[in-house]
Amino acid sequence: MSTSRDDFGIAIRSALLQRGAKQKFSLFVLILLSLSIFVLDISELKPVKILRSLLNDGVYRISAISSSPIKFSGTVKDFFITHIFVYKENRKLKTELEELKNKDFQTLYLQTANKRLQDIIQLEKKSTFTTVAAKVLLDKNSPYLNSVIINRGSNSGIKLGMPVLSEGNLVGRVVEVNFFSARILLLNDLNSKIPVMISPKGSQAILSGRGEDKPKLEYLPEKFELNDKNLVFTSGKDGIFFEGIPVGNVIFEDNKIKVKLFSDPNQISFVNVILDKSSDAEAM
Amino acid sequence: MAISFKRLKKLILEMGPLILLFYICISEFHTQFYYWKIFSFNLQFIIIYYWVLRNPDILGYGFVFLSGLINDVVLSLPLGTSALCYLFVSLIAAYVRNATVRSSLFTDWFTFIIAILIGNFLYFFLMNKFGGAQVEYISIFYNSFFTFIFYPFFWVLFEFYRKFIIAGAK
Repeated sequence: MSTSRDDFGIAIRSALLQRGAKQKFSLFVLILLSLSIFVLDISELKPVKILRSLLNDGVYRISAISSSPIKFSGTVKDFFITHIFVYKENRKLKTELEELKNKDFQTLYLQTANKRLQDIIQLEKKSTFTTVAAKVLLDKNSPYLNSVIINRGSNSGIKLGMPVLSEGNLVGRVVEVNFFSARILLLNDLNSKIPVMISPKGSQAILSGRGEDKPKLEYLPEKFELNDKNLVFTSGKDGIFFEGIPVGNVIFEDNKIKVKLFSDPNQISFVNVILDKSSDAEAM
Repeated sequence: MAISFKRLKKLILEMGPLILLFYICISEFHTQFYYWKIFSFNLQFIIIYYWVLRNPDILGYGFVFLSGLINDVVLSLPLGTSALCYLFVSLIAAYVRNATVRSSLFTDWFTFIIAILIGNFLYFFLMNKFGGAQVEYISIFYNSFFTFIFYPFFWVLFEFYRKFIIAGAK
């Protein structure tokens, strides 16, 4: 018994301290170093934050360059897929065109209804915000974090918590700011919780990311009635987000009330970070 | 001239696993897939465990540490989180190498469970306690499960590559 314990001790000690022919550091030293770096990083000391910010900027640029072959292969794949299905798509589009012509009147009616609903909730959808446009540098998924890196940072006036739009719809908020880059936490991330308002009744809820494409609605009123006209907007209750930013529409899926986002979080290339409400809007 | 070319070839071949590890950490190469909403695996764990176990001279601990730091920056984790996980995976691999005389696919595969569990537990603990981010343990479980399932496939690939390096050196 004691012999096997001795063997275990010797093997562990050897694994921790032995350096081998080409090893410059022992595992023990590197584990201690990692722990020290971890403690320094979570302590959020200002010099460490500046250092981390510089490191982030550098690594993100290298990462964007090294990801270009992967992005290129994706573009080539999409190009071929599009061309292979072009004939089939043409026929399908012709049929759809006929259907759309028939639905033209219905669309006109819905547009009017939509405008009326927007008037009710006092929403001005046209840009009432001062924004800064940014390109998505890096989009590395993990099962635990859904976020993207953009090529604008504190040099463009971006600050922590600012809402981010894609094609005029909310996609997330800024969670990390460096000098030349920033990280956007997407709405579908597990850590994303946004107060929202649901039209037409103006019900309040929390949009909660689940790590899946469609975030869930939590804390809905007890008598909430789901219908096709339920649209989701930011409520601005947290005091961080401006109210009335379009988010998505409510759907019922897997026995849960979810939100189908207007902007697909997996297909974002360019975004607008809201810096402030524009002076025109304030004047109104 | 011929000798230097041979040395260069050997050097490049030996750098293969290291380049792969760094490329996965720094690029958008996705090992976290969303098919069926559960399928993801940790290729970094597999690379580190295999090479530290079978040929530690190819994948130095210093490089493992550095790749962990890069991964932390890219995924916006507190610096040192991935480095610690990777180093503990290396520790298990180094222990198994010291404690066993002959290793096979099955011995490597079953000892790999301990490495995955320790690595992912450490990640889960550090993220939940200090990282300020919510992590679902079920995602970690699926990730651990598929990493374990995929190990033999990569073991065969890496074994072939290792033999290729040995043959290239002769």
